[in-house]
Amino acid sequence: MKTLLQRIYLWIDERVELQGLVEYMGKKYVPVHRHSIWYYFGGVSLFLFIIQVVTGILLLLYYKSGEELAFESINFIMSKVQFGWLIRSIHSWTANLFILSAMIHMFSVYFEKAYRKPREITWVTGMFMFFLALGFGFSGYLLPWNELAFFATKVGTDIAGVVPIIGRPLMIFLRGGDEVTGATLSRFFGFHVAVLPGLFTVFLSIHLLLVQRQGMSEPLDIKKETEQKTMPFFPNFILRDLTLWLLVLNLLAILAVFFPWELGKKAEAFASAPAGIKPEWYFLYMFQTLKYIPGKLWFLDGEILGVLLFGIAGFLWTMVPFWDRKSSRGEQNRFVNYIGLFIVIYIIIFTIIGWLA
Amino acid sequence: MKQRIFIFAAALITVLASRESALANDKCLECHRNTEDKPSALFLNDIHYAKGITCAGCHGGNPNAEEIEQAMDKKAGFIGVPKGDDISKACAACHSSPEKMKSLGSSLPTNQWEFLQTSVHAKLSLKGKDHIAQCVTCHNAHGIVSVKNPASPVYPLNVVKTCSRCHSDIALMRSYNPSLPVDQFEKYMTSVHGKRNAKEDAKTAECASCHGSHDIRSAKDVKSKVYASNLPGTCANCHSNADYMKAYKIPTDQYEKYAKSIHGIALLQKHDAGAPACNSCHGNHGAAPPGVESVSKVCGTCHALNADLFSSSPHKKAFDQRKLPECETCHSNHEIIAATDKLLGVAPEAICSQCHNENQNVKGYQVAKKMRGLIDSLEAVEKRDQELVYEAEQKGMEISEAKFRLRDVRQARLQSRTAVHAFSEEKFAEVISIGLKTSASIEVESESAIREYYFRRIGLAIATLIITLVALFLFLFVRRLEKKQNK
Repeated sequence: MKTLLQRIYLWIDERVELQGLVEYMGKKYVPVHRHSIWYYFGGVSLFLFIIQVVTGILLLLYYKSGEELAFESINFIMSKVQFGWLIRSIHSWTANLFILSAMIHMFSVYFEKAYRKPREITWVTGMFMFFLALGFGFSGYLLPWNELAFFATKVGTDIAGVVPIIGRPLMIFLRGGDEVTGATLSRFFGFHVAVLPGLFTVFLSIHLLLVQRQGMSEPLDIKKETEQKTMPFFPNFILRDLTLWLLVLNLLAILAVFFPWELGKKAEAFASAPAGIKPEWYFLYMFQTLKYIPGKLWFLDGEILGVLLFGIAGFLWTMVPFWDRKSSRGEQNRFVNYIGLFIVIYIIIFTIIGWLA
Repeated sequence: MKQRIFIFAAALITVLASRESALANDKCLECHRNTEDKPSALFLNDIHYAKGITCAGCHGGNPNAEEIEQAMDKKAGFIGVPKGDDISKACAACHSSPEKMKSLGSSLPTNQWEFLQTSVHAKLSLKGKDHIAQCVTCHNAHGIVSVKNPASPVYPLNVVKTCSRCHSDIALMRSYNPSLPVDQFEKYMTSVHGKRNAKEDAKTAECASCHGSHDIRSAKDVKSKVYASNLPGTCANCHSNADYMKAYKIPTDQYEKYAKSIHGIALLQKHDAGAPACNSCHGNHGAAPPGVESVSKVCGTCHALNADLFSSSPHKKAFDQRKLPECETCHSNHEIIAATDKLLGVAPEAICSQCHNENQNVKGYQVAKKMRGLIDSLEAVEKRDQELVYEAEQKGMEISEAKFRLRDVRQARLQSRTAVHAFSEEKFAEVISIGLKTSASIEVESESAIREYYFRRIGLAIATLIITLVALFLFLFVRRLEKKQNK
């Protein structure tokens, strides 16, 4: 006698040949070694992204874009909508944890040289998703239309405006005019809920497909070891992933209840900027660096130089699988490690300085 | 001692001799007297003539010369009739010099010119070259006498007319300050001060008593003696001086009381220039104590609603019959203290109990008791609401709407204090009920926010427990599965 679940499975299998996929997953193994812990951050990032999609859709039910409505609608969500405070707080906290988790994932992949051939496309799509995540953070920050967000967007788009040649048109495009206004809010809303999720979904699909197709990369030093331990992807790895996801969910619930995300004061275009205005923590190291660069350096404007340097660094970082040929040949490349270490230390130190400033 | 007397006598003889000699040789006066012109006739009564100052003292030239050309020679310093600011400068040449004034035996202050420069009269005239007023505008040119001399235009009994020569001239005042009234003189003549002045009481206040003499400033100038916050002190100069006011047989503690009153504290301590000063109730140029019937009208210029409510209240008739001043009976006059809820009710400190008790005017007693009960209950719920909103805020709950509505409760309580003046239980209860209803909604909202706070924590504890248990179960399940797989 077949159970109901078995009958449903057979019904689907008859139509889409599910058996092949299940057998494939059953044969898929994940390497087990002393660096295996880092494999889980990809899954945690995915989980946090799913939470963002779900809570974002729930917020959309009540959020109203527009200079006159945005702040009030968030206030309404937080004070009147049943569990609105929880959804909004989780959305805000998850945004930060998502970027943190994606950063950890990115650096672990970098230090393990998991980007090397044949996973160049996986790395590049991952980097694109990371940039899109920063875009999500930047655009979403403005949506409550509060004082801090307003001035942070003003500063952020000002910085974009200093990029040579394309800077000013880019700034006008982002702002929808010369200044940060209701038009900026409308297009940031559009980017946040339509453009960025659309692009992100495309890159995420390719990324996940490649991970499944190519399997997990093993670090170079582990690969040399003769006997390699593995665990089945399904159910072992999936269940371990799920356990970690539940712990992350717990953390999110605690953060949302004990540290509810504040709304602050409504943005006033003609008010003076509040003292100590800072961007979100993940932009802080760049913001702090720009503050230290002198106004004029040689023949270049200091700010332009800073933006250009970060642009070039970001490009080189994305292109690491193509210039680090040694790792692709299976050789150790300590130079890449030193660069990565320098960047991690740089980001940590400058973020702390920016935070304390 | 004898030696000192001798020196003094010698000096006096010398001064008198030189004065006599100077006047005897003043050919200017001699010729002008012969022509019988008015200035020379007036000059004979002038204090400067008495002090031995010749015409040349102001006009320059050589007063000893026989010939007119020599006497009025510009080389000899002859300036003719000074015009505009040169007039005051000529006066200041001596009056601003302590040495010269001392040598002439004068004890007059020497800062008049300096003060005049700071005054409103030192503004430029229409022609734009000279100041509006010169010394001679008030003191005359020839025939100047001491301010203590009843013939002086600035003698207390004459100064009002002297000022009004310009200040009652509509055309002249319009050209300088169209918004400045020109009826000060008429108003003054109706005031207690003006009436006494007309009866030749030189002690009563005239223009200079309040506005100053040489240093007259605009009433809007914070340094003016009649600027709102300076005015009580200016009035007190006379009215708080028991010796000076003795003859008038009126109290001299008004300033002391006013300074302690809610009006005085607002004006003198909190520097609220809009708070009432003496003139707000008594008038300024037409200053007089308001009569019994007009007290409520005077207070009502600011406290309009209170006055209206009182006029239609049962107290109006009762007060009129007993000839009681309306506002003053309960609130006093100069020493008006902040009206708290304690004034209402039947407790010994309540004003109502002065006329109403269980045996006398019983209906009023009962109404006062109920009204006090109502306002006390509103105050109690307002205090409780504040505590609840504070607690909810401290717990991090969003309670801004309820917090904003606390103002409505406070507003209702303030309105009830105004509504008291209708002395109608029904009208009073109507206002109180608005506050009580708002308070009830705040209470519901803030208590719900506090409950929500605890619900969130309990909910979190339960959710965390369930999630942790599921995670633990999964962890143990995987361990068991891996053990099986490794066998």
